[in-house]
Amino acid sequence: MLLDIFDPKAPPKAVGIDLGTTHSSVAVMRDGRPVALTTCDGTPLLPSVVHYGAHGTVQVGRTAKAYAEREPARTIASAKRFVGRGAKDEQTALLGSYRFAEGADERVVRFDVGREAPVTPVEVSAEILKSLRQSAIDQLGTLGGAVITVPAYFDDAQRQATKDAAKLAGLEVLRLLNEPTAAALAYGLERQNSGVFAVYDLGGGTFDITILLLEDGIFQVKSTGGDSALGGDDMDRALAERLLRAMGLEDPAARTPELIALALGAAREAKHRLSLAEQVTVSVPRRGGGEAELTLGRQDFEAMIRPLLERTGRACKRALRDAGLSAEQLDGVILVGGSTRAPSVQRYVQELFGREPLVELDPDLVVAYGAAAQADLLARASDEVLLLDVLPLSLGVETMGGGVDRVLPRNTTIPAGARSTFTTYADHQTGFELHVVQGERELASDCRSLARFTLRGIPPMPAGMARLEVSFDVNESGLLTVRARETTTGLEQQIEVQPSYGLTDEQVEDMLLDALDHGEEDLERRRLADARVEGARMVLATEKALAADADLLSDEERRGVEQALAGLRAAAAQATRPGVVQAAIDVLDQRTHAWAGRRMDRAIAGAIAGKQLGDVEGSVAHAAGVEAHLEAHQRGRN
Amino acid sequence: MADPFTTLGVAPAFSLDLTQLAQRHRDLSRTLHPDRHAAAPPGERRRALGHAIEVNAAWRTLRDPITRAEALLERLGVPRDERGGPKASPELLMAVMEQREALAEARASGDVERIDALAGAVRQREQETLARLTEAFSRAEGGELDAPRLLSLLGELRFVRRFLDEVGAALDDLS
Repeated sequence: MLLDIFDPKAPPKAVGIDLGTTHSSVAVMRDGRPVALTTCDGTPLLPSVVHYGAHGTVQVGRTAKAYAEREPARTIASAKRFVGRGAKDEQTALLGSYRFAEGADERVVRFDVGREAPVTPVEVSAEILKSLRQSAIDQLGTLGGAVITVPAYFDDAQRQATKDAAKLAGLEVLRLLNEPTAAALAYGLERQNSGVFAVYDLGGGTFDITILLLEDGIFQVKSTGGDSALGGDDMDRALAERLLRAMGLEDPAARTPELIALALGAAREAKHRLSLAEQVTVSVPRRGGGEAELTLGRQDFEAMIRPLLERTGRACKRALRDAGLSAEQLDGVILVGGSTRAPSVQRYVQELFGREPLVELDPDLVVAYGAAAQADLLARASDEVLLLDVLPLSLGVETMGGGVDRVLPRNTTIPAGARSTFTTYADHQTGFELHVVQGERELASDCRSLARFTLRGIPPMPAGMARLEVSFDVNESGLLTVRARETTTGLEQQIEVQPSYGLTDEQVEDMLLDALDHGEEDLERRRLADARVEGARMVLATEKALAADADLLSDEERRGVEQALAGLRAAAAQATRPGVVQAAIDVLDQRTHAWAGRRMDRAIAGAIAGKQLGDVEGSVAHAAGVEAHLEAHQRGRN
Repeated sequence: MADPFTTLGVAPAFSLDLTQLAQRHRDLSRTLHPDRHAAAPPGERRRALGHAIEVNAAWRTLRDPITRAEALLERLGVPRDERGGPKASPELLMAVMEQREALAEARASGDVERIDALAGAVRQREQETLARLTEAFSRAEGGELDAPRLLSLLGELRFVRRFLDEVGAALDDLS
């Protein structure tokens, strides 16, 4: 066995984490290739199951899964389905073996796991991430941040909740990355391909379809679609429903969490066996004694899941239309997610796209591989590959009549920003409420509510005089920031944000303190470690910038930057308090400020120069560049 | 907002080579995307994010003929209040109404082929309108600005777009 030689001076490795509905995994780049790390189960795949024991123990993975049928209420699987959702959400009410805590706060799901305090899906996810983090540290020595994947179709609340979970787990999130984009990255690097690809990602609880163009090291998402509440779990539930009836449990009131867990377990097993066999026999206990035996053929199962597959088909067709493409124009279809192992799913995809899908990379690990590649690129400040992703669902603001004023349409390339101007409708109005929603429906109440912003401190003016400029910025992770300004007086407004779903920053902070044995002290230590890693990364990036653009500095400025760089280098290596590293970062930030502007201007000029675009007669086309890319691409191949 | 032609470094014109425009967008993204500056000091990261947002917005504006036309009208100094709202000839309005009815019928009876045929006819009309707009804008560049004609052609384009959006929604329902 080869031992990894641990070099204390090597920069800490950044990892990629696939936080899945059924399984999670963590991977790292080693010698230019992604490698899945071994989890606490001794395998690369860790079941995303957390068990809360009666005596305060918390177990994750296979050991937790073993409790699923015995202690279903204490064993949370598929927490991802509840992340960023409310207690009254449709998803929350689906067949499942959990007990939910009654609470006043409907913005967050809370599981009653038989302890004093119920747990939220964010905390459950954090336990899984904590376990993966520990595995990574055990095998790598140190950890330099993580890229965490999310379904492309996750909305802002679900993304924010995922980030909160990582924060609770003590992970520094370099970026959130969409799962299909990660998979495409893994495939693209593997095959050195170019062309237009569709990524069909059917996981345990989510479905994504992404159409993207690979060219010159750029992975550009053209369109994305899906359903963040559709996956293998739904197949299990459809099958379990049939089993529960066979068990004599038509009446929902007669179903205990234990019996539901048993039916779900038997359904899952039958599903897996049907991947290999044409027919399986399932035996389950009957109400009032005895056994019920059920014979299931592959055809029965296919008929059962057909409606689910057809939902994925509709999303695929829309994504193709949004990209302005037909199925024949694709160069390949990539399969991702454990559910795509089912022969019936593969057959359906083949039928849908008229071609055999690519399955070379393990559909359970391909997302973690891509995330590891992206983490490595970010940590090394590399410029080999670039991912251009899109906003999955339109962002809008509720209008007076309950409609939606769309500020950014779906499939907008991110980062993206938009500005909207609003005015007061009453004399001397000093406050203003803004309801931000996400989705495609025409009524705000049918869209997903993200947050309510209350602006205060508007100077009293006649109605319609105040000008409130609201800016919406979506960053590269798909996370939204809203800012508001009153433009007639130039006053920045105080904004109170009431997220519609999920936890507030303060709640996350409190959980974080509670989770640590020595509260403040541990938190300080963790922040120091993070600050040092960040500082080291910044040193590397600044050194690279000096190598390329030192000529844009005056001698004096250059001395200043080098001094600040030396200061940060020392702080990153030796500081004992996070504040010291932060101060060194601030100095470097300030001294590189003007230079960064000049470097960017140079880069922009470089990208524009020498390739003056002329207007070409008669080349006006309706669609975005896709057809044009396709043409160029096909010309290149002919 | 900054002028999208300036942001992407292209000569202002209605007729643009979209292949080259997409290439320009990607060249700029390569240097400005926040991932490229992930390890940089915070000030540089903010600056890159701002630039990247602007470049993406400019690309979004210029790749779509309607917003591209609006950006050109802005440059030509046509007041904003006159640009809003569709302005179309009674003849066009009639044609649109008929096509809408036909679409509604096809949608109700689930006739996808008929919907495709209607969409095809409207796309043909779109091409003609685009050609006229190209011509009118190049005259405007040469000093012969005919704002009412430009606005009416733009209005036509908006009608066409709305119709095609409805076609998309109809196909969504039926697929």
